[in-house]
Amino acid sequence: MAVFDTLGISGSGLLVHRKWLDAVSDNISNINTATRTNEDAFKERFIVARAVDYGSGEGGVRAARAEFGSGQGRLVYDPTHPLADKDGMVKYPDIDLGGQMTQLLMAQRGYQANLAVVERATTAYQAALQLGRR
Amino acid sequence: MTSPFGGIVPVGIGGIAGVASTAATTGTTGTQATQGDGGFAAVLAASFDRLQGTQSAADSLATQAATGDLKDVHDYMIASNEASLATEMVVTIKNKAVEAFNEIMRMPV
Repeated sequence: MAVFDTLGISGSGLLVHRKWLDAVSDNISNINTATRTNEDAFKERFIVARAVDYGSGEGGVRAARAEFGSGQGRLVYDPTHPLADKDGMVKYPDIDLGGQMTQLLMAQRGYQANLAVVERATTAYQAALQLGRR
Repeated sequence: MTSPFGGIVPVGIGGIAGVASTAATTGTTGTQATQGDGGFAAVLAASFDRLQGTQSAADSLATQAATGDLKDVHDYMIASNEASLATEMVVTIKNKAVEAFNEIMRMPV
């Protein structure tokens, strides 16, 4: 219902932050995924958010696309690894866990902030409906 | 001297239509229903239709949550929130209209 636009707008924010959380969890879950040296390492995932213009559209945000980091990775000496090459090297994704944890915090806080907006908007709408009630 | 009852003239069917147009400006329904025939009843019926839509959207998300097809938890929470808000709004508008009607009916003739 168009009256309760705020809920939909916050919903789009929630969706984007949920996708961001997905991307971060994907990155962290693959942080120790070893590959052969002649293959690409796991590529870090990024979510690109785009604003939906409030003037022409309904407002809010959308996850425009996913971007991928470099597959270059870093070489690690591990000769016992089954994927190691003849020099005993394997490739690990070059993802910084500290950076991922920071992004995790931001995504979580953003999600919570959008939920807070939903809650406040609901309270505000309810207060408006109480207007003049005896 | 102006008639003391001058202010009462638009009350009645016109007054109910006035309530209807107030409801329309707050965005409950389309505006065209208020101008034409039907008046408040049409407005109320249209907002009931919208309410039905909101509630069925929430219902289908509830089904998805139960069957495990739900992709986003917040989708369902927002839809159910919206449905309850919309219900509250329609009921409030209905109550106000009935209240106004009763007020008129209580008027000593």
